[in-house]
Amino acid sequence: MEIWRLPISASQRGKLISAGYTSLSSLSSISSSDLARELNVSESEAMNILKVASHSRGSETSNASCSIVEGAQSAWDMLHDEESLMHITTSSADLDNILGGGIHCKEVTEIGGVPGIGKTQLGIQIAVNVQIPNDFGGLGGNSIYIDTEGSFMVERAFQIAEACIEDMSEYNRFLRKDFQECKIKMQPQDILENIFYFRICSYTEQIALINYLDKFLSENKDVKVIVVDSVTFHFRQDFDDMALRTRVLSGMALKLMNLAKRFSLAVVLLNQVTTKHTEASFQLALALGDSWSHTCTNRIVLYWNGNERYAYIDKSPSLRSASAAYSVTARGIRNSSSSCKRIKMM
Amino acid sequence: MARLANLETEYPVLDSTVRNFCASHGIFSVEDFLIHDLYMLAAFAEQNDSSERLKEGIAQVLSVIDDMHQPWLNGMELLEDAKRNKHVFPTGIQGIDLLLGDGIRVGQLTELVGPSSSGKTQVCLRTASNVARNHMVLYLDTGNSFSPQCIAYFLGKTISPSSAQAKNQFLQKVMSNISCHSVFDIFAMFDVLHQLESYLRCQDGRGGCQMRLLIVDSISSLISPVLGSSSTLGVINSKLMDTARALMTSAGYLLKKLAHQHNLAVLIINHTVGGEGGSSKPALGDSWKCIPHSRLFLSCDRGSNTYNVSILRHPSMASGKAARFVI
Repeated sequence: MEIWRLPISASQRGKLISAGYTSLSSLSSISSSDLARELNVSESEAMNILKVASHSRGSETSNASCSIVEGAQSAWDMLHDEESLMHITTSSADLDNILGGGIHCKEVTEIGGVPGIGKTQLGIQIAVNVQIPNDFGGLGGNSIYIDTEGSFMVERAFQIAEACIEDMSEYNRFLRKDFQECKIKMQPQDILENIFYFRICSYTEQIALINYLDKFLSENKDVKVIVVDSVTFHFRQDFDDMALRTRVLSGMALKLMNLAKRFSLAVVLLNQVTTKHTEASFQLALALGDSWSHTCTNRIVLYWNGNERYAYIDKSPSLRSASAAYSVTARGIRNSSSSCKRIKMM
Repeated sequence: MARLANLETEYPVLDSTVRNFCASHGIFSVEDFLIHDLYMLAAFAEQNDSSERLKEGIAQVLSVIDDMHQPWLNGMELLEDAKRNKHVFPTGIQGIDLLLGDGIRVGQLTELVGPSSSGKTQVCLRTASNVARNHMVLYLDTGNSFSPQCIAYFLGKTISPSSAQAKNQFLQKVMSNISCHSVFDIFAMFDVLHQLESYLRCQDGRGGCQMRLLIVDSISSLISPVLGSSSTLGVINSKLMDTARALMTSAGYLLKKLAHQHNLAVLIINHTVGGEGGSSKPALGDSWKCIPHSRLFLSCDRGSNTYNVSILRHPSMASGKAARFVI
């Protein structure tokens, strides 16, 4: 039953089985023209089938002695790789602390919260912060912003970029107090130029874009973060077939995981909340259901606590559950002002 | 199951006369032979001109088939095999080990199912770090949640405080036994399992550090993109469903075969979906329910560090037993 495992179309599979080819070894000694004649398909199709079969078989015979399967890494090597991976700061030191330095690369982070809590603000802040140059402890990469709701405001991004550059020159001044002040060469316009913006208007466009990102990222290797704001919007209304929705969302999540791993970038998905009825009480939970909640690597839930905005780590393979306060200011996401113990003048 | 044409080189009695006769009855491969009514075939062969030839050909194919089945084992041999090969690996988590009666068993498929963030990955990492002290471990990761730092932390807790260099050496020795591979679709997983099978076949001959644990985190993420539900309409959808279910069950059987033949313990992770009345039930449906040998349901008390585990299904423990544990 090995033909089941080949990624070929169902009709080709059916033809192979009815012609008597049920195992990969039976395809080893036949030429593509003979196969094309037997199956009654075009020669290019036959060649494709043979290529796929020999690839599956080739991976069986070429057994590298050092790794069990090709592409596997030992945990010891991964430990050292992880130490050199950088994180994307959120500009709020408290938030960075609970995140272990910031948003992790090679992982998919889901951030969800009630409307108005600052998800889009956080998304824009991350898209700007990823561009902080290496000298200042950043990644120096570009960002992709996928907007499904239309909530991205360019003026706000400009404002945040300006504030980021001011912070960098301030840091610069503190650091190189003795040397003459070296001007930051970056301008807010440069930061905006490095945000690739896509506007999505339906769920098919969203899927198409995720499929296209593979090619886009191979051409633009500097991209270090993908922000999707929000991943839920087009999947909440007009979706009658829940099974189709689960299939589409799982497939999309796997593709994003693949992109994050292959290109060493961070994927940030912003999600909305919904009410869940459990045991006679109503609870706020992130949208898109149980299957979706399983697919991200990390999850951060943003919520209100009195007058303060808090972030809580809901799911993480290596971080402890913790919460931290943050605030949304004119300059972007910053530490909550109450932690500075300054009296607020009303 | 080879085509009859391919067998000609090895068994020259299966020449074109025999093959044409078989083809006239719709038999092209050894597998077709099995499905066909052999008495009818023999009767037709009698009536044919070259009946001797044909009967020889049929006898030859039948002997080929005879060589292909697994060897018979009686109860004593099974017991021997169980005592010698099918050990039990402790997970390193006291609550779970007590519940399972010492740990997860080699040769069996153990499934951890639970809602999001209920500790499934942590249990797998803990088990991997425990088993890796003496054996090799393969971790198939679909959600980039393999955390070497967690493994280093778990290992650090277990050894007595010693010099940093000794600790480093220990960590290196144990962590080099764990291999992690990312798979993002079900065909890639089949590829990996295929390669693993050939590796294990070579390994069975030689000694040394052997692979004894395979972890798939998580199998539901790989199957969900292809699995539909029974409420889909239309012929096309049902064909898609059948292929998806076939992929799922053949994945399950392949894992069980690897576990039994090559003495591996297999640990897989599944997630939950909403059932009737708001309760959660394991994903992947009823077809998957009977495939794992043991199923454990994990959940987490919100706000505290304690987790609950209960047995849904186990070959030797009573189902419904529950325990708590901390990580």
